[in-house]
Amino acid sequence: MTPCTALRGALEVVAWWAVLFLLWLVLIGTVDTLELVVGAAAALVCAVAARGARRAVGGR
Amino acid sequence: MDDPLIVVALLLVAACATAAVAVRDPERQALVLAVLGTALAVLFTVLQAPDVGLSQLAVGSALTPLLLMLSVRKVRRRERGKGRTR
Amino acid sequence: MNGWTATATAVLALGGGATVWGVATGPLGRRVVAQNLSTSLACPVLLLLAQGYGRPSYVDLALVLALLGPVGTLVFARLLAEDLEGDPPGARAATYAVAVFGATVVIVLCAVAGPGRAMVKLLVTGALLVAGNLVASRALAGGFSGSRHG
Repeated sequence: MTPCTALRGALEVVAWWAVLFLLWLVLIGTVDTLELVVGAAAALVCAVAARGARRAVGGR
Repeated sequence: MDDPLIVVALLLVAACATAAVAVRDPERQALVLAVLGTALAVLFTVLQAPDVGLSQLAVGSALTPLLLMLSVRKVRRRERGKGRTR
Repeated sequence: MNGWTATATAVLALGGGATVWGVATGPLGRRVVAQNLSTSLACPVLLLLAQGYGRPSYVDLALVLALLGPVGTLVFARLLAEDLEGDPPGARAATYAVAVFGATVVIVLCAVAGPGRAMVKLLVTGALLVAGNLVASRALAGGFSGSRHG
């Protein structure tokens, strides 16, 4: 694992996280601190899962 | 207030359920059941129960047909295998 | 009863009746197409009901249906692939008609809602609805048979 691939992986996770967090922001009813914290945490988990899924499908 | 809407949704569910009973082939029955799940979700929404409609959608539109089709497939395959060995 | 629920009633009576008739009779290909169209027709109906009842949270139902309806159709397309190979169901006109109807409903509701988070949510639902409808129809017509395993 070279630093270049690690950096690319981190960038991909951040991009997924941004997209998923935006989606969460759009879909919730009221915007307050608790919702934002929960959304950020859930988006991080889903971003890591999304990168794993993309690599599993792309590496076929 | 919304009587025509309730009547239409109820009629739709009744027609769909009757069709699900009348159709004989299990694969086609799964198709009718999927439509029945959607119609039931609309009926629940019309009756102001969106939470019930939400769970009905989650179960009825994808999960029930998937389970039915998979079990029909498995039974057919087993029968075919039995016929071959006989 | 207002204009939104009246429109929903008319669509439900005409389209719902047609899809129930289509799914209960005829060859297998027509039944699968009717099942696909029933989900993509119920989604705009749920959107209209949310607007008619004045409850924006009912849009969640349409969102879930727009996501799960094509999944159900893909299940049938995958598991009935051998039976559908003989005559792949097309029904291009009906598919495009329902897709245009869904897009029209979403655009009208967006115009009513005005700019904001509600509009973005409606647009997400509409995009999922139209894209899912087209993808499911293409899968039914055998468009993805080249990438199928086994």
